[in-house]
Amino acid sequence: MPSSTSNFEFQRVIPAHPWRGISVTVIVAVLIAVAVWEVYCRSLGYEPTLNDTSDLWAEARRRVQPESLVLIGDSRMWFDMDLDEIEHGLGKRPVQLAHAGSCAYPVLKDLADDEHFHGTIICSIVPRLYFAPPEAPPVELSRKAVQRYHGQTWAQRASHELSIPLELSFAFLKQDDLTLEALLKELPIPNRPNALVPPRLPPYFCSIDRERRARMVEQCAQPGRLQDRVKRGWLKLFTPPPPPTFVPPEAFGAKMNAAIAARYTDTKIAVDKLRARGGKIVFVRFPVSGELKKLEDEQTPRAKTWDPLLQQTAAPGIYFEDFPELASFTCPEWSHLSAGDSVEFTKRLVPHLRDALQLNAVAEN
Amino acid sequence: MLFNSLTFVVFFAVVLSLYWSMRSWNGRKNLLLVASYIFYGAWNPPFAALLFSTTALDFYLGRKMGKVQTPAERRVWLWISVAVNLSMLGFFKYGNFLLENFTWVLARGGIQYKPPHLDVFLPIGISFYTFHSLSYTLDIYRGVMRPTRSLRDFTLAVSFFPQLVAGPIVRAGDFLPQLEAPPQPQKGRFLWGLLLMTLGLFEKVVLADTLLAGSADRVFGYAGPLVALDSWTGVIAFAGQIFFDFAGYSICAIGAALCLGFHLKDNFRFPYAAVGFSDFWRRWHISLSTFLRDYLYIPLGGNRQGAARAMVNLIIVMFIGGLWHGAAWTFVVWGLLHGSYLAIERLIKAVFKQPPRWAESLAFQLLVGLITYIAVLVAWVYFRASDFETASRMISGMFGRHARADAILSTREILQVAVVTFFLLIAHWSLREISLEAAVARLPRWVVTSAWFLMACAIILTQGNSNAFIYFQF
Repeated sequence: MPSSTSNFEFQRVIPAHPWRGISVTVIVAVLIAVAVWEVYCRSLGYEPTLNDTSDLWAEARRRVQPESLVLIGDSRMWFDMDLDEIEHGLGKRPVQLAHAGSCAYPVLKDLADDEHFHGTIICSIVPRLYFAPPEAPPVELSRKAVQRYHGQTWAQRASHELSIPLELSFAFLKQDDLTLEALLKELPIPNRPNALVPPRLPPYFCSIDRERRARMVEQCAQPGRLQDRVKRGWLKLFTPPPPPTFVPPEAFGAKMNAAIAARYTDTKIAVDKLRARGGKIVFVRFPVSGELKKLEDEQTPRAKTWDPLLQQTAAPGIYFEDFPELASFTCPEWSHLSAGDSVEFTKRLVPHLRDALQLNAVAEN
Repeated sequence: MLFNSLTFVVFFAVVLSLYWSMRSWNGRKNLLLVASYIFYGAWNPPFAALLFSTTALDFYLGRKMGKVQTPAERRVWLWISVAVNLSMLGFFKYGNFLLENFTWVLARGGIQYKPPHLDVFLPIGISFYTFHSLSYTLDIYRGVMRPTRSLRDFTLAVSFFPQLVAGPIVRAGDFLPQLEAPPQPQKGRFLWGLLLMTLGLFEKVVLADTLLAGSADRVFGYAGPLVALDSWTGVIAFAGQIFFDFAGYSICAIGAALCLGFHLKDNFRFPYAAVGFSDFWRRWHISLSTFLRDYLYIPLGGNRQGAARAMVNLIIVMFIGGLWHGAAWTFVVWGLLHGSYLAIERLIKAVFKQPPRWAESLAFQLLVGLITYIAVLVAWVYFRASDFETASRMISGMFGRHARADAILSTREILQVAVVTFFLLIAHWSLREISLEAAVARLPRWVVTSAWFLMACAIILTQGNSNAFIYFQF
């Protein structure tokens, strides 16, 4: 009988090649290729900055303390709020949990469900994102980030820590723009006329730091090719896709209306839960300009989105157009403020936030 | 811990440095054991305890079996091992599935019962390490091997990190002998191992995740009917994705083991060049198909009790094989489809005992290969679809049976899938009769260097923005 100590006869064959020479050549060639690629990416205007991954979000989420001031919402919260000015004006360093292109509701729910949290939430509202249906990408994006926070493994945390110095050193490490996948998407190949292909996200136009504070790059803040590309991107992204062909229009309309109604109800439940523990919330509508503003006003008018939200939740809100000092800003690419303007905007927003949070306290009493 | 993560790069570099700087063989084995448990525990530490308890129990039962004299006594210990291992697997993997089906059966009988959903986490790789461990007691029972005296060695054999969570299913009898003595020096082994790891990662992060997964996900995730082109593209993309994902993991595992001086057998042998279904299963997930053959098909009687019984046995084995992949009826249908394919093939071979000479021509072989590939694609629909509604919509789409259907893939995505699949099929058909090693040995040095360079650059270009391996969930 063969035993566990018998000779194991299987041995993999090693192809006969001068492996040492080959591996040294490969290493040298790869190093040269990476260096050349890095120089080329920098010549295109890319700078080393962090990628806004779920791991970076989870790291920020871990910083939330019971009484923290938390910023949630979409990219407008991300770009337009200056953390230093908020800290200076409200006395607390905020935690930035807004996520580009996302719906804030899953994050709001997560904070409302967190029994330890009774701090303050400032929530950005872009109606098209906030009222997106449950399976739509904006909701999925936030849900994934929340899931990552709750289910992040030690290995994932370690990989995240290791990636930070690399991302801060190499400009080519841009997951949205310079991966093989993103580069392939740039190929000018026309689609079939009837193909329902989702629009592309706009290209890289911001830097992100470890606190997830986003700043628009100067190239985008000034008129030019990049700014035009980003503008065109927003119009495509904010134009509603055609309704599905396989669902009757009435049924689809009813489903969408039900989803929106449910979002109001769920938001009220979350807000009530938060307030019951002494937490506070204020909704903010950040500036939007140009063609995009026209499109948003047409597709998601204030009277049908913002007003009912405040009414149903009985929460305070700040709509930029209500205050001349906030409405006077222009978004260079129609959707976000430039890095410089974001500081001034935040400075002007702080008194309103202070008032709104007091109003909140009055409403509770 | 994923092979395609920075954590693994650092982990592996540290393990390799310590391993090759140690002189003591026992010290090296202790290091590998600790490293393997760190590798597994980095995902969810408590499940490392579950892994150890399964291993320790099989070690103990193996010792017991080795001591008893009669087959009946050995059988008792074997049944305990099988029952405990499969109960663990059943609880964690099939608990909710069984409960749902039980509720469904009760409802058919007019009894309304609503059980609470079992909130259990599926320990990663449980299907793999259960089979690693079970192979030990099964082989001792079969008289193929004697029990080992070292709990440490057996624990390492089960938990050896390169193959722990997604295979290949390495039998204890194949691994334990390699722990007897330190590996002998073998020229080029380490660097060839690194090249294999590069190839495996390239298959996973570049071919599977970057070039194919997007199309497969969009097609299978679409809630409406699709035109034939998109339906076929989605299925073909998934066929390529699952191959590159799983074969990529296996090659990484083989490469990582080689870097440490261990030899693992092939798990894939160019399966999309299979001519017939028995040929396919000699090339696809070989460690699982041989496991099921040796421990299920042959004990059931194999083909020793006539053609009809052999066909039934094949279907039973593939039913179990389907269920092994996941707790859902769609996986069972996938397994039953393959079981039926194998049974039909056996029937045809039984009818045409002496195939005509033209059946050996290249044209005929290619035709049978094409039929095999298409049948495998149809089966993949059930493997990938989340439910039968999606699967049936996909099948209808593939055969153009939707009166009104949508096109959702971009031309770029269709081209990507077409180009990758074209080269995949060319590569499989060119290499079907030889091993990867033999093929690489024939290549000029500059081709090997360029291929390694290009694969490494493509991996770097994907920036590690990648998914977990599909087989982790099984």
